[in-house]
Amino acid sequence: MNFWSVIFIIIILLLIGTPLFTIFAGFTLYAFASAGIDTSAVIIELYRIADTPMLVAIPQFIFAGCLLAESGASKRLVNLAQALFGWTAGGLAIVTLLTCSFFTAFTGASGVTILALGGMLYPVLLKEKYPDKFSLGLVTASGNIGLLFPPSLAVILYGIIAQVSIDKLYIAGVIPGILLIVILSAYSIRVGVMKKVPKVPFQWSKVFSAAKSAAWEIPLPIIIIGGIYSGRFTTTEAAAVTAFYVFIVEVFVYRDLHLVRDIPRVIKDSMMLVGATISILGIAFALTNYLVDQQVPQMLLDLVRSKISSPLTFLLILNFFLLVVGMVMEMFPAIIVVVPLILPIAKEYGIDPVHLGIIFLVNLEIAYLVPPFGLNLFLSSLRFHKPVFSIARAVLPFLLLELIVLFVITYIPQISLWLLHGL
Amino acid sequence: MKVLTSIDHWLGRLELGIVIILLGMMIIIAFLQVVLRNIFSTGIEWVEIFLRHDVLWLGFLGGALATGNQRHIKIDSVSHLVSKRSQAIFHVITNLFAASICILLTQASMKFLGSEIEIKSLVFDGIPAWYVELIIPVGFALHSIHFLFRTTYSVRAAIGSGNER
Repeated sequence: MNFWSVIFIIIILLLIGTPLFTIFAGFTLYAFASAGIDTSAVIIELYRIADTPMLVAIPQFIFAGCLLAESGASKRLVNLAQALFGWTAGGLAIVTLLTCSFFTAFTGASGVTILALGGMLYPVLLKEKYPDKFSLGLVTASGNIGLLFPPSLAVILYGIIAQVSIDKLYIAGVIPGILLIVILSAYSIRVGVMKKVPKVPFQWSKVFSAAKSAAWEIPLPIIIIGGIYSGRFTTTEAAAVTAFYVFIVEVFVYRDLHLVRDIPRVIKDSMMLVGATISILGIAFALTNYLVDQQVPQMLLDLVRSKISSPLTFLLILNFFLLVVGMVMEMFPAIIVVVPLILPIAKEYGIDPVHLGIIFLVNLEIAYLVPPFGLNLFLSSLRFHKPVFSIARAVLPFLLLELIVLFVITYIPQISLWLLHGL
Repeated sequence: MKVLTSIDHWLGRLELGIVIILLGMMIIIAFLQVVLRNIFSTGIEWVEIFLRHDVLWLGFLGGALATGNQRHIKIDSVSHLVSKRSQAIFHVITNLFAASICILLTQASMKFLGSEIEIKSLVFDGIPAWYVELIIPVGFALHSIHFLFRTTYSVRAAIGSGNER
């Protein structure tokens, strides 16, 4: 079989919905065999799963995220945010952005945010007289915001693949992440003022009762974000504390989840996600090793260098390329496959791997909103029973604002690197 | 067919049972280690190695569960454009392909394990490495079995007798 017929078969298999890891594995086995390497070498590479200390954080964070998603945490969180910020113009919209960020950081870009939180907030937004189109766009666009904040798995995965310190990535993500929220909040306030959305009066008693009912969940971001940013905990330690704490709180304190009736189901769901991620990762270790052995990144680099001379042009093309990749591919496989190929090229153009990580993740985050295939458009369409086309139109102003932020983050590396070098 | 589905069902339950135990141990042991580190400035030596292999096991067993429940990551772009029957035919192809790849991976991992036993490599303090590496061939074998089960379900759906689960 020649190379091109293999590629052709791969594309067909991809299109008819073959599990990605088996396609990667098939290609890797074929590549090793045709290079005359025994296929057991694939397994030697795959066994590096047990040699990557950071991976220990993944099952624990995914489990904690699923527990929070299945419990009443989202409701308590929204109540608290509403009591705190509901009195401002565009208050509920800001509540949506903040709670969705928190939730995405904990559950990853798995669609849980739109399905659970968006589904809960959309009717409330309508009831508070926000325009339908705006509300729909807002809950869809909020589905991935917060991806840069700890304990986001996308950041951990990028760190593992690019061999960059995860703690540094989290610090670099602070300003870009906040920038995204601030810009979208500003837009929401404008809409709130223009459409004369009624405000909810601020009441201490409401804040107090909402804070009391969420009392056990409020320490979570403090433990994780504070722990990681202060350097008290490593990311793996934060994962261990989070999983343990969330489990105790949701099962024994709030009793939202029953130890026998609910927990096995949550474990099953979360560990299937872990399995799906690690299967691809293990194979990718072997595939990357082969590609590096064959000097594919070097060839790619030579090709790119012969066509593009300035780093700015390179970044522009990278932005465009990642938007397309992120639109057709899920985030985790996109990170696992594309990062090893892009990283050496970016280094050659003098782009800091930490800055590249932020560009990469913000790009993939936005790609979920890009028509015609952006995943969040479909999730939102399913959840709110609206055609994908009208969702895409509702998302448009948010998408444009996020693209502006993306370009600012891409071309001004200091936004990402300032906090790091300042520390 | 009934025998098949019930084997499938019990295999899934067994996998889930082991996954629950592995995750429970991971959470408790990792938390204890953090407490020991931060409060008592000490730590247990083997914990790190245990946790990393726990991830390996969770990855394989979680992956096997994902296979049994069709939860692996895929790009599914054409299936909603074609008829139910064509979908079922696609599933026969994809599951059969996946099963054969997993069988090849099982073979490769048995070979890997064989050489690990031969060179007597150790994972920690006199414990042979192949004890913990056993999950690799077993895991891929489980994937293969689940994909083969799924293939038979798809074949039945494709020839029009019975629904695909």
